[in-house]
Amino acid sequence: MANPNKTCNAEKFYNEILSPSELFAARSRSHKIPVRGQKDFFPDDSKKQREQLQQTLEEHWSLVSEERVERLGNLVKATWNPNEQIVELQTPAGKFWQTMGFSSDGKQFLLPEEALYLMECGNVLVFYKELPLSIQDGYEMFLSSDTVGLQQFQVFGHLKRLGYVVHRFDPSLEPSSYVRQLNLPQSHERGGRTLKRKRSVSPTSSQTETRAESPAEKMEEDSKLPESLLVTSAEPPEAQNASISSADDSRVRTWRTWNGPGRDSEKTLITASSSARSRWDFSTIFFPDLGHGGQRPSCMAPPDPSLLPADLTAGVCDVAAWRHKINLRHVKMSAKERKREQHKHRRWRDMNKDKEVRRCSNWAEYHDLLARRQAKPRGQPAHLWNAEVEPLHNPTRPLSTAELLDKISVIKSTHLLDGASRLKGADEWRICFNVYQPDSVADFRKSNPGKPYARMCVCSFSGPVPDLGVIKQLTFQSGDVPVVFAVVDHGDISFYSFKDFQLPRDVYP
Amino acid sequence: MATEVLEKTSDDAPASGKPFTRFDLEKETELRFEVEAGDASEQVEMELVTGMAEVFGSELNRNKKYTFGPGSKIAVFTWQGCTVNLYGKPEVAYVSKDTPMLLYLNTHAALEQMRKQAERDNERGPRVMVVGPTDVGKSTVCRLLLSYAVRVGRRPTFVELDVGQSGVSVPGTVSALCIERPADVEEGFSVQAPLVYHFGSTTPGTNIKLYNKLTSCLAEVFSQRCEMNRKASVGGCIINTCGWVKGSGYQALVHCASTFQVDVVLVLDHERLYNELKRDLPHFVRVVLLPKSGGVVERSKECRRETRDEKIREYFYGFRGISFFPFSYEVRFSDVRIYKIGAPSIPDSCLPLGMSQDDTQLKLVPVTPGRDLTYHVLSVSSVDDGDEDARKSIVESPVCGFIVVTQVDTQTQVMKVLSPAPRPLPRHTLLIMDIRFMDMK
Repeated sequence: MANPNKTCNAEKFYNEILSPSELFAARSRSHKIPVRGQKDFFPDDSKKQREQLQQTLEEHWSLVSEERVERLGNLVKATWNPNEQIVELQTPAGKFWQTMGFSSDGKQFLLPEEALYLMECGNVLVFYKELPLSIQDGYEMFLSSDTVGLQQFQVFGHLKRLGYVVHRFDPSLEPSSYVRQLNLPQSHERGGRTLKRKRSVSPTSSQTETRAESPAEKMEEDSKLPESLLVTSAEPPEAQNASISSADDSRVRTWRTWNGPGRDSEKTLITASSSARSRWDFSTIFFPDLGHGGQRPSCMAPPDPSLLPADLTAGVCDVAAWRHKINLRHVKMSAKERKREQHKHRRWRDMNKDKEVRRCSNWAEYHDLLARRQAKPRGQPAHLWNAEVEPLHNPTRPLSTAELLDKISVIKSTHLLDGASRLKGADEWRICFNVYQPDSVADFRKSNPGKPYARMCVCSFSGPVPDLGVIKQLTFQSGDVPVVFAVVDHGDISFYSFKDFQLPRDVYP
Repeated sequence: MATEVLEKTSDDAPASGKPFTRFDLEKETELRFEVEAGDASEQVEMELVTGMAEVFGSELNRNKKYTFGPGSKIAVFTWQGCTVNLYGKPEVAYVSKDTPMLLYLNTHAALEQMRKQAERDNERGPRVMVVGPTDVGKSTVCRLLLSYAVRVGRRPTFVELDVGQSGVSVPGTVSALCIERPADVEEGFSVQAPLVYHFGSTTPGTNIKLYNKLTSCLAEVFSQRCEMNRKASVGGCIINTCGWVKGSGYQALVHCASTFQVDVVLVLDHERLYNELKRDLPHFVRVVLLPKSGGVVERSKECRRETRDEKIREYFYGFRGISFFPFSYEVRFSDVRIYKIGAPSIPDSCLPLGMSQDDTQLKLVPVTPGRDLTYHVLSVSSVDDGDEDARKSIVESPVCGFIVVTQVDTQTQVMKVLSPAPRPLPRHTLLIMDIRFMDMK
């Protein structure tokens, strides 16, 4: 609705009311934003390039110098309160109230960066000492080191223009890891925030106060965290210990087991009680042996009656007669079968021909000898295994991929959150904003915003890169919400984030 | 040279009124008789009238009637001469001089010498392994040597590794038994507290890895007992093996000799086995070749099956004289867990990385109870399968006892079992055997 033009030309400069022609011109302006083309990387001193540059600069200047035209009735009036660094709304808020601003004491307030952004959009007109502020004034007054810096505002504006909902980050409102574990229902964070605001003199001092509290909270969390750390990262070494000890046990338990040559061996242990047994003197102990080995008495004298049960008397035994009766069944084998038997047994050598075996006088020593012989299993060439540098792994033994990788690994893998609880926050690196999804604006409640989509930490492109400690601390502080680093390079913003991942280690876990 | 002396005099029957035959035996001769097999045949009774005699090492009391049921094969040996009456009609009865009893006695004397030396030197006594093919009289020789040892005052241990014809417990098991008195003439050794391990079938070939493992377990337990008990250590042990002497059976014998650390191996009537053992065992093991007795009878398959059946029936119902009263009750499927030892073998290429074929043969495979469980003998393991570790030890643990499934009802998920003790089952881990028993009385 165009107001009638009552002013004269002299007052035009100060008057915001436009003439119909101006209004029409403003209305019919093209609302297209010029498209940014590809960047010219280096000057080549050509006229064409210079002309192009000039043209784009002029376009840019004309765009920026455009006057914003807005309906007076649409503008929300507000006042700037430099003591509290807050903007107080005089007229009721518009659509932006869904996602921005807060109310306390019955009055509606806006944060400075929100106010500045809304000024740029043309929704809010901020007065200071009865005078409306220009954009430049707004930049100068609202953005300071106490509130939100220029770079942070740039990020804020960029994200808001994309449609995200951006709120300031308050570390004290973040639930600790213990609370997260308990999985409590979401409490009303908004109420807490307003209370804090009421208590404190300025938002910044409240922030520093809450930050002083959070180290104390972190101390509590520390006592909880070592448990969880023990649970997660100590499990693999515990499992390893258990497997090693059980392997030892099995080796200790299997004593006096002997597997013949050619089988897999288990280490045999001798118990303390098994001293060297005396050898039975078979020259005095007569066994009636009908085989080729032992002595072959033709007849045996009656045994000593002390050895026999009472009332038993025995006579002379004629051994020779029995010899003929042994195994009268003759195994008839054809020539082929006989050859097969011979072939099967061609490798059989009398083990007693072995000198070392002859030196053993009882089973214990014999088992020792076998164990020693099988300590170096076949398939292990001496030149490989006896040198200074051994092969990594014995190919005859099974090994899973994970264990093999463990053997050759130089760096141990770690998680981003390892040891994060113990880090103190650095001053220059802090999370500035909570960013919420744009498509949830419909059911977004300021009193209960829910879990943010990401958290922003703003830094400059020319500044230092965050180191591992900073990343750990920020990730830990953020909890389960990813942290994104917004790097500002003179108005161009790039977003970076660090993610935890694991290299695949095993085919069969 | 072997003379058969037979004297048959039919005297007037004494007051009992039964017809009998009288045998007069000279010294170092034996009377052998067999009772006809089959349910219809009657029993044969034997009485020692004068003199002294023994049956497989156990002395006979004078003027006491010993009863022998169908299928018995008995030899009565006398050292000094005696007179024996036989009541009833045995299938065959004769006297023979052709017995290797003197050789066996000399063997016992040599073992006793070893025991004396062990006692003197405070060391362990001789461990003997009896090997040989089937039907040479291994069990009899074991019984003989054990009875003689007990008669001299020793406490030997009997280790039964014959899973087909077990002398201690039901077939399909390996066991160890401490012998404290000579075998009873009719019943055999008194089985008071044997140590029994579940094997599962009547031939070791079905799961040779398990057989070897159980042999090692028994050896370990025996060694521990020897450490605890001085008398048992001096007494030593006598191991009865099964009749498989080729291939894996032979390897099992060598393994057994090694784990038990035997000192003497008695080979019965197999020269080739004797030579092989002499070659494969270290020199400090004495391998002795002994002949088999002429009275040894080859048993048919039928006969063996009947003996096995008889052994299981004896477990539940007791020996003829003393009757046991087994209980029959119902067991829910959900109350018990039934396992089988040994997964079916799969080719090596199909096995997961790092796993070998050995593991599958000792694995515990759960069995879902069904109709085909009927008539199977189940062992009640002494270990509860609480967690993974306990389950691994079930294979190596002894069993408490045995039950037979008489009926299975899949609809109500209940099975009826025959058990030596009243309900409830002492443990709920059951191991299934390949042996079946039909309870027909």
